[in-house]
Amino acid sequence: MAATTAISTATAAAEEARLLRLEEQAEHGGGGAWEYLSLARRLRARRPAPVLRLGLSLLNDASARSRLASEQWTLYEQVAVAAMDCQRVDVAKDCIGVLSKQFPGSTRVGRLEALLFEAKGDWAEAERAYALILENNPFDQIAHKRKIAIAKAQGDMSVAVDYLNKYLELFMADHDAWRELAEIYVSLQMYKQAAFCYEELILAQPTIPLYHLAYAEVLYTLGGLENLQTAKKYYASTIQLTGGKNTRALFGVCLCSAAISQLTKGRNKEEDSSELQSLAAEALLKDYKQRSPSKEALIAGMLKNMKLS
Amino acid sequence: MGVECRYEVAQAAYVKLALHALKHPTAAVNGLLVGRLLDSASPAVVSVVDAVPLSHQPHHLPLLPTLELALTLVEDHFAPQGFAVVGYYHANARRDDTDLPAVAKRVGDHIFRYFPRAAVLLLDNQKLEKVIKGDSRDPVVQLYSRDSSKSWRQAGSDGSSQLTLKEPSTNVVLADHVTTKKWQQIIDFDDHLDDISKDWLNPSLLG
Repeated sequence: MAATTAISTATAAAEEARLLRLEEQAEHGGGGAWEYLSLARRLRARRPAPVLRLGLSLLNDASARSRLASEQWTLYEQVAVAAMDCQRVDVAKDCIGVLSKQFPGSTRVGRLEALLFEAKGDWAEAERAYALILENNPFDQIAHKRKIAIAKAQGDMSVAVDYLNKYLELFMADHDAWRELAEIYVSLQMYKQAAFCYEELILAQPTIPLYHLAYAEVLYTLGGLENLQTAKKYYASTIQLTGGKNTRALFGVCLCSAAISQLTKGRNKEEDSSELQSLAAEALLKDYKQRSPSKEALIAGMLKNMKLS
Repeated sequence: MGVECRYEVAQAAYVKLALHALKHPTAAVNGLLVGRLLDSASPAVVSVVDAVPLSHQPHHLPLLPTLELALTLVEDHFAPQGFAVVGYYHANARRDDTDLPAVAKRVGDHIFRYFPRAAVLLLDNQKLEKVIKGDSRDPVVQLYSRDSSKSWRQAGSDGSSQLTLKEPSTNVVLADHVTTKKWQQIIDFDDHLDDISKDWLNPSLLG
């Protein structure tokens, strides 16, 4: 999922929809395979089975391949990776073979060879291969990231966290890496550490609603009055950054308000933004009425109970 | 609760949770189990009639907002039919990972407070592979229940709880759905929150 602002979130969703349409079309013999494959590559979408099928059919068609000219090598690479994802090690090996003949001594091909070791589960061989690449180029980000991926694949989460932290010391501005680290922390239930990652991301890119939302969700999970109040603020900023269209943020405001009022029962309530949760509830009901009417009554019931509690 | 208890899993619940896992092969997935206690039966039987898929996104899975929302909505929806949340299912991301993760135990504990015979089902990826190939009649899930020491124990180790598939042809039906790529259509709460027109009840999925 690409990090985007409110406006380009719509674009990202539209592009994903277009990708799926092209996939459907190409898979049913309607052509457009190359267009689909190029879009998949650009969006970095992980759709290994169709990419493998459609990519292979292009590569096995000599005239189609020659029409691609120099772009065929990118296709070989794309198909190799998809093949590995589908456990078609034989296909991947063939593609990599073609590429290494065309580009002898290439680091990019070297990375594919290392990836193939990963696909086969030959962790030691893969690590050796990446170590070699890093010897020649200590700032090869992809090789660094694959080391982390290998640790994850073996379930060595603390090693993965360690590598990732070291990586971030070198590449502080790699936002994807910060998100990956946050995700790993969340999976380990280390929510404070995850929160720190999201704080870094919000500082670096304050207008990306995804980060505000993720931060709010972690804070809500941590719980406690202060965290809930902060979570509510970040759900609110998410709403603002997404023009009120983000369902999770709208629900989040309601959840926070209910939880906060539970914790402050009997105490002097602040002149809180009780307007905010009413507006959020209203927005949710309106949206459900329009797009999910079968659930409207259920949502209305829940929201009503929350306001009472 | 060291008393004998049998868990009878209906086809709809079983197939949905397996399809959910198959739709997201590179991620962990989880969901809620819906059903009721058949208290006229002795030993007790928990009938699991349906499964509501929750999450497949690693940065959402263990977090509370989606879970709390889902628990409320699922309970509210099924209560008029006499059903409640009776358990939780989980599928690990890695193929050979057969450990019950902390998040599963935590959610299990939470559900246990409201339903003392709560079940946790952990998907066995390798068994699932076998069933898809038509190779096995064993259930693809491992049952965990809470013992008197408050820890989640695998069923079968002491015979006090047992999992059965309500319909004997369940695995065959699952394999069939896999060949028709039914897993592409299953909707979970994450999908719903991204697009509320998608229904987490999956009403027309299994026909």
